[in-house]
Amino acid sequence: MSFLREARLEDRFEPFVAFQDALGFIPNLLQAQTLLPRVIEAQAMLERAVRLREGAIPRAQKERILLSIAADRQDTYCMALDSRVLSSLGSSDGQIDDLLNDYRNADLSAADVASLQFCLKLSRHAPSLCWEDIEALRTCGFGDESIFEVVVVTALAVYRCVLSMGLGPEPDFGARKLRPTRIDQPRSLAPHGLLPDGHKGAQRKGPYVSAPYLSAKTFAPFAVIQKSHGFIPNFFRAQTLRPDLLEAQLEAVDRILLPKDALTRVQKECILLAVSAANLNSYCVAAHCNMLRGLGMPSEDGDQIAVDHHESNLPDPDKALLDFAVKLGTRGSDISREDVVKLKTLGFTEKQILECVVVTAFNNFVNTLQMGLGIEPDFAPPPVFEENKVHLSSGAVTPMQVDSAVRLVDKLQDADAQLVAQAQGGSLEAFEELVRRHTQLIYRTLMAILGNPTDSQDAMQDTLLNAFKHIRGFQGRAKFSTWLVSIARNTALVHLRGRRNVESLDQGDYEEDGDFRPRQVRAWQDDPEQCHSKSEIRQLVERGLLQLPAKYRVVVILRDIQQLSADEVSRQLGLSVPAVKTRLLRGRLMMRELLSPHFTASTKGAVQ
Amino acid sequence: MITCEEFFAEFADYLEDQVSPEVRQELELHLSQCRACQVLCDTSRKTVKIVTESGSFELPHSVSDPIFDRVMAKLRTDHS
Repeated sequence: MSFLREARLEDRFEPFVAFQDALGFIPNLLQAQTLLPRVIEAQAMLERAVRLREGAIPRAQKERILLSIAADRQDTYCMALDSRVLSSLGSSDGQIDDLLNDYRNADLSAADVASLQFCLKLSRHAPSLCWEDIEALRTCGFGDESIFEVVVVTALAVYRCVLSMGLGPEPDFGARKLRPTRIDQPRSLAPHGLLPDGHKGAQRKGPYVSAPYLSAKTFAPFAVIQKSHGFIPNFFRAQTLRPDLLEAQLEAVDRILLPKDALTRVQKECILLAVSAANLNSYCVAAHCNMLRGLGMPSEDGDQIAVDHHESNLPDPDKALLDFAVKLGTRGSDISREDVVKLKTLGFTEKQILECVVVTAFNNFVNTLQMGLGIEPDFAPPPVFEENKVHLSSGAVTPMQVDSAVRLVDKLQDADAQLVAQAQGGSLEAFEELVRRHTQLIYRTLMAILGNPTDSQDAMQDTLLNAFKHIRGFQGRAKFSTWLVSIARNTALVHLRGRRNVESLDQGDYEEDGDFRPRQVRAWQDDPEQCHSKSEIRQLVERGLLQLPAKYRVVVILRDIQQLSADEVSRQLGLSVPAVKTRLLRGRLMMRELLSPHFTASTKGAVQ
Repeated sequence: MITCEEFFAEFADYLEDQVSPEVRQELELHLSQCRACQVLCDTSRKTVKIVTESGSFELPHSVSDPIFDRVMAKLRTDHS
């Protein structure tokens, strides 16, 4: 029996039929997930797209990758299963034994050896993967399609190993033994060592393989993503070489991450965030911080989970759930039945524990794909989470060995930190210097919300008094300027309450004005600023900004005038980055319409 | 070639210079052949430049100094 109860599913359950056809039996790993049939469907879809479909590399090569990674992770369940599959595909017992113990002795082509070397590095030390590793594959004849496939098969291997470690199914076949003289993989893996000096490869960024353009109009999955995320993250764009695989992943997301019948969406996002952080995957950390913000969690709380969830505001059982997930995601072979029992005593149901295991497995699948394909970030990671500080400078420290590597991250580097400390100690001089530094930021935030100078100047005074009153409560989890803007925002909102006809800053974007389209199509002069004096232009812009609805005005002022990054704006306003992007574009296009009459090619003359 | 609608779907990221080389290529191919999108793109860039360089809503010292003075005076009295 596995760690969890099993349920009986009908014989015609489609994934079971498919496995019966492909393997001749139904693996216990699937039986161990019968409490949530939807997650079995997800696994079946991924396996079909990655493992069973005819692709750029032969099926046997994929199976060798799966087996080698199972052996490297000492996953006895997958070792037994994958050995049997390889054997049924015609591999000799001797070759299987060599793959289990030292693939370099196995009778394999140079390309095969290179792919195993690559996969083991990706599975074990994903953050240290670099451009040279991809080049090594290319010199062995791998093209974009086969590199892509090698990465995806590795991700699937990782997915299965995490599942089997977390669920503890009985082996389907007699266990395969490893020799005590088995090679010590981590030391002898990469041809150029774990991390070369200066880590040159890291300077040359991804993406490692090409990604043909696909339109949301013609490719249905992109339309779905566009609708749910408001944009198409690079994670999906980078996989357009294999549209079928993208479809399978979205089906998996639908079955694993979106349902709310076991864990909540927030719990699942917290798992994804904490495990991605422990895997030092800054892409996924940024993405999940952003998702949590979209689900209503304040950005400091999300950041804190990325740095160390023990210090977060989560309830104790949820912290224990994250402990379990992080342990499973980073040191899966240490998981035992006791870990599962502990979660049960804290009140988690077996379905919830199963889902936690599956979400962790899926997280590691996604982390592996992102690192293996070198997918570029959509958003900056939280300011406190800089993965480079941890894994690049610390030499032999790898994510697999460090308990919670992100705890090593330094406290936030903030140019204001020293003055903040003095001001918190009661120094009025330090406080004055500190807030004077941010005069324009505060004033513009207030103007953006209140829309008139007199109110903004009054609110400025209150903002400064409020900032002093609360400065001891500032804990340094966000930048001081971010905190200051939140004080300004709250002060402005109090002023607004005294008014009638308040404009909301928080309306959604997609529905009510979803089809805003630019109308002005006349070209502008080549050098539009030449025809107006600087003060005329400023007057035009200010007048235009005050005509924008407040929710667009705020974003345009902070992004284009105060020149904060989209990420900072999203933190300060508590919006997701995609929402900021949408509002920014709308706001800019509205400004364009308002300015157009003054700058079109045929118009000359002054401000009307 | 992509349609104007598809161009517009990528436009926010294009303005922020956040598209992949493949997408950029598609967008620029479209731009080279579509006058309307070319104008949209050019005028939007000019808008951002004008707005950014306008220095709008800058609070002059002549206004901010008295505010700071009042606040600091109040804090000093409260503090002593």
